[in-house]
Amino acid sequence: MIYIDKYAYLSRLKQTNPLKKLVLAVSVLGVCLWADSVAVSILTLLIMGWCTVCKGGTPVRIFIRLMLVPLSFLVIGVLTIAVNVSGDKDVLVFSVYAFGMYIGVSQSGILSAANLFFKALGAVSCLYYLSLSTPMVDLLAVLQKLKVPRLMVELMGLIYRFIFVFLEMADTMFTAQNSRLGYAGLSSGYRSLAALASSLFIRSYQRADELYIALEARGYDGELSVIHEQAETHWTEYIPIMLINLFLIAVALFSKQLTGGLL
Amino acid sequence: MAENGLIENVEAKNILEVRNLHYIYSDGTQALKALSLGIKQGKTTAVLGSNGAGKSTLRLSFNGINKPSGGEVLFKGLPLDYSVKGLKQLRKSVGIVFQDPDKQLFSASVYQDISFGAMNLKLPEEEVRRRVDLAMKRTGISHLKDKPTHSLSFGQKKRAAIAGVLVMEPEVLILDEPTAGLDPLGVSELMKLLRKLQIELNLSVVISTHDIDIVPLYCDYAYVIDDGRLVMEGTPQEVFSHPEEIRRINLRLPRIGHLMEILHDKDGFEFAQPANTISEARKALINWKDTN
Repeated sequence: MIYIDKYAYLSRLKQTNPLKKLVLAVSVLGVCLWADSVAVSILTLLIMGWCTVCKGGTPVRIFIRLMLVPLSFLVIGVLTIAVNVSGDKDVLVFSVYAFGMYIGVSQSGILSAANLFFKALGAVSCLYYLSLSTPMVDLLAVLQKLKVPRLMVELMGLIYRFIFVFLEMADTMFTAQNSRLGYAGLSSGYRSLAALASSLFIRSYQRADELYIALEARGYDGELSVIHEQAETHWTEYIPIMLINLFLIAVALFSKQLTGGLL
Repeated sequence: MAENGLIENVEAKNILEVRNLHYIYSDGTQALKALSLGIKQGKTTAVLGSNGAGKSTLRLSFNGINKPSGGEVLFKGLPLDYSVKGLKQLRKSVGIVFQDPDKQLFSASVYQDISFGAMNLKLPEEEVRRRVDLAMKRTGISHLKDKPTHSLSFGQKKRAAIAGVLVMEPEVLILDEPTAGLDPLGVSELMKLLRKLQIELNLSVVISTHDIDIVPLYCDYAYVIDDGRLVMEGTPQEVFSHPEEIRRINLRLPRIGHLMEILHDKDGFEFAQPANTISEARKALINWKDTN
């Protein structure tokens, strides 16, 4: 998932105020979840996809590939909802008879499965929009501004920074093991992986100690105080975001009325 | 010596000094044994020693992270004050740049990481920004302001780490193996940068290293330690005029010094002056040509 970070830095929306992007992503996410409507979910997916790809300049290929990541989980989850067991054949649109009962899909099952499917994709697209347009550092600055507990923001920052350090470390160790045929067979592979995991854990522990010393040398006093870039925004800049949300809410209400709350 | 910007060894005050320093780790390892030495103000001092000689322990004793088991550390002639306030004051003046910049850079943003030390001094925001910009300019990384830390090259990270210490406007800059992991050009650029900083800011620079070849080029004074004890001290030229002693503790002469030694011992050349750098050797050879 490291390339998400790369694309966030390359995004044309990088310079846009991160608070605005956060508000857009979270509010649309909220509306999408509240609306519980296939139409709104698909619209959310389209709007967020458009923002990411057309406004942000993230390659479509990347966006689609990322959207495919949750798909496998989603398909399994959705199947369990769509498939029902019933003694009455007529409730099910399509069914097979097994073990003295009918296993199949009902109309309401299909509908709620489709609803869930698109709702999940819509929600994920909101998060992808945020993570593909906003580097973590900017996001942390916003969270700090929003008075999220300091400890949490600092932890997030450290975790984010050290993901890259440890990834590199793990990568080096893996290469070193691999070049000594550590992954030649299944059992040796498991053994090597165990060794890699344990030594990575010990090294991270040492790293924490060393980091503490280095921070202390620079006057650490319990708070990782750094300068945050804080671009001010005027409330009028939030009008487009408001309009998008109002539009989605209107679609939700209208489609509910039209289909009797089915879609 | 003047061509490298080396200042003649005029009597200068010790900005940092350790006296009879002992340090014993919690596992019983005696890392420093009655070590006494002084760091001259406004000079570049090398602390040479093989692996495990006690360089790192000494380095961390200089800014109070290691509290000595015996003896004392003096900053500007006064013993260190190990109270929270005293240490804060000390660490503002004595900055350490660690060998692996990844161990020092904690923030994913270069700018934020550099601002950390200045923020800890509780300076007003404009002052912090001014210092961060200046430190980035001095270390030549202004163009990396908006880059994430993990996208930097090793040499760039090293510079960012130095900038992160410079923002505190220290009087002493201690560097652990500053040239380790850098390519040849990176080494010479970094050492020139340190030299420039030292002269412009009147910094006292301490380099703990076993990269022998940089010592005669960029250092004014050198201490050689082995097994927690001081073995030798003097200008690089003085120190490297005792090759047997240097080799005994698993160090070596600078390559040029070694060449001159071989030319003298095996091929019968007689040089008027010792030479450890290319320019010194060149002078010595021209001199030899003229007299023969």
